[in-house]
Amino acid sequence: MEVTFKVYRKDPEKDGKPGRSNYTVEVPDGATVLEALLKIRDEMDSSLAFRCSCLRGHCGDCMVRVNGSSRLTCTAKVSAYTQKGPEISLDPLRNVPVIKDLVFDWDAFMWNKIRATKPWLDASETAADGESIIPDAPLQDLRKVMSCYNCGMCDEGCSVLPVDFDFLGPAALTKAYRFVFDPKEKDHKERMKVLEGPKGVWDCVHCYEADEHCPRGIEPTKRIIAIRDEAFRAGITNEKVARHHQSFAASVKESGWLDEGRLAVESEGLTNISGLMKLLPTAAKAMVRGKAPIPYMHSKRPGAEQIKRIFEKGEAEKK
Amino acid sequence: MKYAFYPGCVSKGGCPELFPSSVKVADKLNIEIEEMKDVACTGAGVLPQYLSDPINARTLAKAEKLGLPMMTICSTCQGVLAQANYRLTSDPEYRAKINKEYLAEEGLEYKGTTDVKHLLWVLFEDYGIDRLKSLIRRPLTGLKVSPFYGCFLRRPPEAITPTKESNARKSYLDQIIGIVGAELADISGKGKCCGFPILSANEENSLAMVAKHTGESKEKGADFMVTPCPLCHLNLDGNQSRAEAQTGQEINLPILHLPQFVGLALGFDPEEMNLKRHIVSTKTVETKVEMLT
Repeated sequence: MEVTFKVYRKDPEKDGKPGRSNYTVEVPDGATVLEALLKIRDEMDSSLAFRCSCLRGHCGDCMVRVNGSSRLTCTAKVSAYTQKGPEISLDPLRNVPVIKDLVFDWDAFMWNKIRATKPWLDASETAADGESIIPDAPLQDLRKVMSCYNCGMCDEGCSVLPVDFDFLGPAALTKAYRFVFDPKEKDHKERMKVLEGPKGVWDCVHCYEADEHCPRGIEPTKRIIAIRDEAFRAGITNEKVARHHQSFAASVKESGWLDEGRLAVESEGLTNISGLMKLLPTAAKAMVRGKAPIPYMHSKRPGAEQIKRIFEKGEAEKK
Repeated sequence: MKYAFYPGCVSKGGCPELFPSSVKVADKLNIEIEEMKDVACTGAGVLPQYLSDPINARTLAKAEKLGLPMMTICSTCQGVLAQANYRLTSDPEYRAKINKEYLAEEGLEYKGTTDVKHLLWVLFEDYGIDRLKSLIRRPLTGLKVSPFYGCFLRRPPEAITPTKESNARKSYLDQIIGIVGAELADISGKGKCCGFPILSANEENSLAMVAKHTGESKEKGADFMVTPCPLCHLNLDGNQSRAEAQTGQEINLPILHLPQFVGLALGFDPEEMNLKRHIVSTKTVETKVEMLT
């Protein structure tokens, strides 16, 4: 079949301005997008830059956006993208620095962030015979995470990275999970400080886009949530988040449901005058529109005592 | 058709316009609801799973005892309850542990039979779209509307779209816009996060998301946005002016709750749907709707 590929182009050695080249090629019915790209480079335009390595969906090196969606070109079939017409657009990932054409900066996109999470084990002391034998059960879960081949699809799907490229992102945070929950890790206080710091786990919106994008079923969002739950259990070190979570938990524990007025004020901090002032315009509007009751009231739910009992038991069990 | 109704904290707290308009719409549609008053907040994805699963198991057990399926009006409540329900029904050992350690003392046991559905799903899967269409008294002709689902109503698949048929849930809100006679102003971020979960942790990012979604909707010519999630509403409506100030954009896009939107098509007046309680003025919507009657 004959297909026209509309490929994003950018050459820093020329003017560096983004543009697009159209290539019409004949490819076999079962061809992959990568095979088409290789044909274009070999037969039509040797200046076209793109990445590939394993050619069988294992290394993640060839990820680009095919008709707008992130795909590994080595496994994406051309025929899957020509149903609306014989044209396919190819672009680099969103929100990443492009080096040339479809080649983007992997360091900025992912590797620097993984490095920031200290991706090595602070192992406990080894036994006298030099071996640390650990049970298989906890490792089964970690093996799933270790099967990540760093394709970056989770980061591509992330809701936060398009508004904040410095967010560590699901790929790096999932790598961190592998160490936080490794039974060999002696003490993860230092690692948790990094993960709970700016641009870390608390900036995640837990929208599950990463899980939907992961081709390996590693479920990065659930890994991030597990790190957050572990932080909650051990005591959240990020002060603002701690205030928010403590206030949320306290109002559910004490009354059975959420006291939003209290949450807004306590999240800012009772002594944080500028933070509290910031809430005033919206609070005033809410009052004028009848959104906030005057005087402000929050009463206990029926059943609150049972909810409190369950809460206290859950807290005690995790201590 | 009767449901154990779980209204969620926000429909009576930060979005007090949502609860009464939902009750009016359910009544008009002849959907019988029994409000669950003695159950806890779901935890909204803020509480850790080891606290939220037991309190949600209690809620699910109470609905089971009533012999009713549950109906929610909040994407976040729906998502958190459905995720807890998935864990409790797919892992009988885990359920038995929660029953024994947390529910038994109150004489409760969750057997794993409660179905939890958002009003949006109820309309399509239980109520029937033809029946809904037959009750439309004011087709919202000429109004352009953007959908915004709330991410917990889209994912994760094992809890939200567990079967091939249930994949249709990802387009229900788009469909309902056409069903009530309005025009779809589609936006790329309709299934993404509104930013509300990180409003406290990273306000700048949260407001950037508000500006991104509402700004795109405005660019597409939408008269307003409709959402089945009051937490999205709190951010998209309540914090829109702060998002405008942060990005220097002028947006001014009204945000309607799903029941208000359906209610207007059923013939309720904007006043009856409490549109005046919103932070972003809904005057333009009210004027257009009143011209239709």
